[in-house]
Amino acid sequence: MAYVRKDVSTLTRTERRRFVNALLELKRRGEYDEFVRLHIDHYTADGETGLRSAHMAPSFLPWHRRFLLDLERALRRVDSSVTVPYWDWTRNRRKTSVPWTADVLGGNGRRSDRQVMTGPFAYTAGHWTIRVGVTDGKFLTRDLGRAANPIALPTGSQLQWALDDPVYDARPWDSTAATGFRNKLEGWGPGSGSASWRNHNRVHRWVGGAMLGGASVNDPVFWLHHAFLDMQWHRWQLAHRNHRYLPAGPPPAGDRQHGRIIARYQRLPPWDVTPDQLDDVSEIYRYA
Amino acid sequence: MVVGAGGVAVGADQQAAAGGRGVSRREAARALLGTGAALALAPVVAASRPLPTGHGPGGGSFDETYRGRRIQGAQVPIAGRRKAEGDWEVTVDGHPLHLMRRADGTWLSMVDHYGSYPTALEATRAAVDQIGPGQQLRDLAPGPVVGEMAGHHRGGRHGVRA
Repeated sequence: MAYVRKDVSTLTRTERRRFVNALLELKRRGEYDEFVRLHIDHYTADGETGLRSAHMAPSFLPWHRRFLLDLERALRRVDSSVTVPYWDWTRNRRKTSVPWTADVLGGNGRRSDRQVMTGPFAYTAGHWTIRVGVTDGKFLTRDLGRAANPIALPTGSQLQWALDDPVYDARPWDSTAATGFRNKLEGWGPGSGSASWRNHNRVHRWVGGAMLGGASVNDPVFWLHHAFLDMQWHRWQLAHRNHRYLPAGPPPAGDRQHGRIIARYQRLPPWDVTPDQLDDVSEIYRYA
Repeated sequence: MVVGAGGVAVGADQQAAAGGRGVSRREAARALLGTGAALALAPVVAASRPLPTGHGPGGGSFDETYRGRRIQGAQVPIAGRRKAEGDWEVTVDGHPLHLMRRADGTWLSMVDHYGSYPTALEATRAAVDQIGPGQQLRDLAPGPVVGEMAGHHRGGRHGVRA
């Protein structure tokens, strides 16, 4: 029986508490920090050599789908009632909206050092010390909306622009792909500066602090953000039923992307699973 | 059902497999980084001082104080590639900052991962903008370890980069 992932703004007080407590328990056991490490270890940029499984590649979506499933499985070992909620940043756009409330993820970082001071993930609450971080800072940081040079969250129309592309991904299968649902959602635009930051990337930047860096998993909003993106993949599938994950086959020898991306039936590291097998998860969970 | 082995377990297995005698490859790489990489960088930086700021992608190196932090960078050649395609080894107050290159030739850092900058120097300054007061970079894998170890252990560190 499939379980349900809900909009975080609709969770009851009890559901919020149980989700938070399960996260804190994974953190206490040391399991959470392994998720932070795994994400760091699989960030290979497309100007470097080597296989890209998690970012700047077609498998951005299945990689994060499986990553969320692993976290969710760990959470459900702690409390079988818990599922990962999603944050719809096209609707809950204010710095004081859910999930930035004291009973879910806590609020913005303070001005002086961006330290989160409220909610269960504040360092001062005693349960959320950063151990696998980009800096030696022990506390979670946020800079919602980037105070020094404000940016806005991506809009619903920008998300729709990605959803409207019927092709899953396109050559050159990296961060420079001008068309295709995947890169429009992952959000690598041409050029640099604010106009080039779209959808997924832009939300990481809007949250700021830990979410801006390689250790972004340290902020639990990572999971709520990626659950929402995962839901968009499902929506895209419903809207374009004749289209599937691309590429269907690996690029041939001599192609610049040969050996650097994962085709539909290839293994998706670090797991023994293919994008094809992650295409339909309707037997595991659904979105409400 | 696609939910098989947990990511945590897989990650732990890979570290164990990489570790050999109880020391993970990441730890070994960190130890190596602490000596080899820093020493290798020092003469390059010393020889190129003083430098004006604002060097472009082909600038080769930089060494300046930005917002109270010393940022140093040098481009190191990779075997089999032209110098212009070399990796950057960058430090902030002496601590390594891992830079990655995008396919369009721009740069991003471990600190600022969801956007990129036209030059390594700009990516480094952007990273400094994000490092909180009194904090220093942690030597966090993959860091410069990837460049340092690639020749010897290509594909080995994660067991996935075939």
